[in-house]
Amino acid sequence: MKTILLLEDLPEIRAWLRKLVQQVFPDAAISESSRVHDALELVKTVKFDLALVDLGLPDGSGVEVVTRLRDLQPDAQSVVVTIHDDDEHLFPALQAGAFGYILKEQARELIIEQLQRISQGEPPLSPSIARRVMAYFTEKARPSARNSPVPHVSLTDRETEVLLRVAKGYTLPEIGVQLGLSRHTIADYVKQIYRKLNVSSRAEAALEAQRLGLFG
Amino acid sequence: MSASHLPFVPGSLVRRVAVGLIALALLATLASAVMHGAAAAGPARTFTIRSALTAAGDGPALAGDALPYAVQTVNLPDQWSHTRPGFAGTLWYRVGFVHPAEGAGDELLAVAIPQLCSNFEIYLNGALLENGGRMREPLTDNCYHPQLVPLPAQLLVAGTNTLDLRIAGHRREEVGSRWRAGGLAALTIGPYAELDPGYARRLAFGVGAPQGASATLLLLGGFMFVLGFIHRSESHLAYFGALAIGTAMLDARLWVRHVPFGHQVQEFVLLALLAFVVWAAVQFLLRYAGARIRWIDRALPLQCALVAFSMLLAGAQRLALVADFWYAVFALEVLAAAGYHLRRRGHSASGRLMAALLTAVALAIAVEFASQWSPERTPLVVVAPLVLPLVFALVGLRLVQQHGRALQHEQQGRVQLEQRVREATAEIERNFRQLAELQVEQVTERERKRIAADLHDDLGAKLLTIVHTSDSERISTLAREALEEMRLSVRGLTGRAVRLADALGDWRAETMSRLAQAGIDGEWQAPDDLPHALGSRAYVQTTRILREATSNIIKHSNATHCAVRCRIEDGDFQLVIQDNGDGIAPDVDSRPDRGHGLASMKARAKQLHGQCLVESGQGYGTVIRLTLALDRAADP
Repeated sequence: MKTILLLEDLPEIRAWLRKLVQQVFPDAAISESSRVHDALELVKTVKFDLALVDLGLPDGSGVEVVTRLRDLQPDAQSVVVTIHDDDEHLFPALQAGAFGYILKEQARELIIEQLQRISQGEPPLSPSIARRVMAYFTEKARPSARNSPVPHVSLTDRETEVLLRVAKGYTLPEIGVQLGLSRHTIADYVKQIYRKLNVSSRAEAALEAQRLGLFG
Repeated sequence: MSASHLPFVPGSLVRRVAVGLIALALLATLASAVMHGAAAAGPARTFTIRSALTAAGDGPALAGDALPYAVQTVNLPDQWSHTRPGFAGTLWYRVGFVHPAEGAGDELLAVAIPQLCSNFEIYLNGALLENGGRMREPLTDNCYHPQLVPLPAQLLVAGTNTLDLRIAGHRREEVGSRWRAGGLAALTIGPYAELDPGYARRLAFGVGAPQGASATLLLLGGFMFVLGFIHRSESHLAYFGALAIGTAMLDARLWVRHVPFGHQVQEFVLLALLAFVVWAAVQFLLRYAGARIRWIDRALPLQCALVAFSMLLAGAQRLALVADFWYAVFALEVLAAAGYHLRRRGHSASGRLMAALLTAVALAIAVEFASQWSPERTPLVVVAPLVLPLVFALVGLRLVQQHGRALQHEQQGRVQLEQRVREATAEIERNFRQLAELQVEQVTERERKRIAADLHDDLGAKLLTIVHTSDSERISTLAREALEEMRLSVRGLTGRAVRLADALGDWRAETMSRLAQAGIDGEWQAPDDLPHALGSRAYVQTTRILREATSNIIKHSNATHCAVRCRIEDGDFQLVIQDNGDGIAPDVDSRPDRGHGLASMKARAKQLHGQCLVESGQGYGTVIRLTLALDRAADP
């Protein structure tokens, strides 16, 4: 039995998503919401295992919900479900703590497979997102940035290796074969990369807030 | 001088001493020139009278009679301060002489008086020969004037002749210099022709030269003062101007004989003028060395006032005392300023020149000081005052030279500055242009994002709804493809070039996972580390071509294997997609979906000035070759 949050403003798509989710998780209790505000209220009261979050909503961005879920329910898994496939839209959501993303227009079967993978701990990672993550950590490792008081989170060599290969267009199973590792181990690396991205981004955000005097 | 400069001391000391000696030699030469005439005069018919009878009295001329007053015998040169302390007024001198050239025909005789003070009348055997000017206050001032008085032959008598001199003068205590106190030098009598050259020299050096010097200094000083006044940063020029003007006026004492005001006023003015000259001198030395000292700026004018005040307080009777005191103070001040100046600038070429010139000035002043105890106004004493104008003229020239050079530098600096301003302006304009371009870019980017957002929110949402709600698989697929097209178009608007290596990564990931999902064995060959870039349009179109080709393979070919090969050859980017499927049937053009797909692939390649070739044989699979020129494909 799972509790699932569904945040999507278009009714047809929401209905379609619900059917999909019910197919993957037949026993799940599904809370639906079409606005960021409502979703934030729900997150306060209901404990979720999974949240499917659209980004462009009438009263704000789904990234807010991802952030709040990360704060209030660290065990909940946020997945961005979006029409935007570019890293400009996706990266902030990943930094906020989302574990992967699903593109809405993909075929039903593909989405079902991805949902299953995500629920089994295999988040997707595209080459452009991988490049963006590498650039982010490289930037942080620069000597000028190293002196900053942000707790330095860095990737391990293996994680970097996986990222590098994803950026070159290799699929996760291919990378597993190349590195002589199981598919699950590779998936774990990807999850770890997402986590580090979130931790590092949060530390940075906290520091920025401190600098701006938000926390006295 | 600090210890670190010690090694230089001997050298610079030697130089200074040498320069001092040269200055001394110059003085001596000048002095000997003055003396030359006297030395050349034949001793036989020229004689010097070294004693006289004196009597104080204001009475009329005593033509040939005995002196009616208390008579005293004095040696010549006579200083009243020695023989008649405290005396002021008029004093008679009588000397007798025997006609030296008896029987020498009508040769004109004359009496030469190298110095007397302040004014005189001269009588020969009771007849007035010459009158130097006013004998009452304000007295005509002849103190620095040599005199040569012809002795008319008709007044001379055989045997002893009587020469009476009536001298009006001042008390030593009332004047600032021994040379302006009452007195008479030794008289020389001889043929006029023999005495005249010596007299002329004395007149030239003692009166004519100072006149010329005064005029020169006045001009030079005025010029420098105006220069310094205009260029406030070169205040030393103004002080030098003031110094030169002050010295010129001070030198006027040597040649101005008829002053319109009384003797006391004259002495007052001279000392006050000296205070002013010292003020200018000290400030010039300090400013020229680049120092500006506040308390000295205030102290010097104050000193001028103090000098005037002290003279008023002391009164006329003690003027000599006050003057001597101030001379000492002034000498120390100038010496200190000179020392300061040389310490700061002594090691430069111009500092060494200043050292030499200051030494000469010091020597001249020393001679002037020493002369206060000299019985006679020797040639050296006569020429010493000329050193100052000479030195000032040299310094003035040097200053003008420096000023000219500074102007030249300034000119060059201005030219450079103008150049720099021009460059900076160009730079600013360039930056402005870049900024404007950047702004245009930003506006474009914002607009693109707005359009993209609108497309996603509106068109995207509707297409998406069709994708997921249509019952027809065909319509769903069309809508999905339309959505993809829309996104690619939106991305195409970004206009940013894509690294070929990144593009290959994207293409590989998409193609390989699609083939894998379709159960087709995928193979991908591409070189590593490509430095090339693809324009965004080339990227989008190539993506579409590859996607279309992959879709065709998945949907229509029944292939089990698909190889994608990328390579760079002769500046061309080549993409080859090969499958082992059924190949394309000859009637393919009549089928709406496939035929359209192939045609659109070719059209896209053409748009990129590239080529898309499709080779296919039924049963042998299909090969699609896309070739793009990289230099063209790199344009956005």
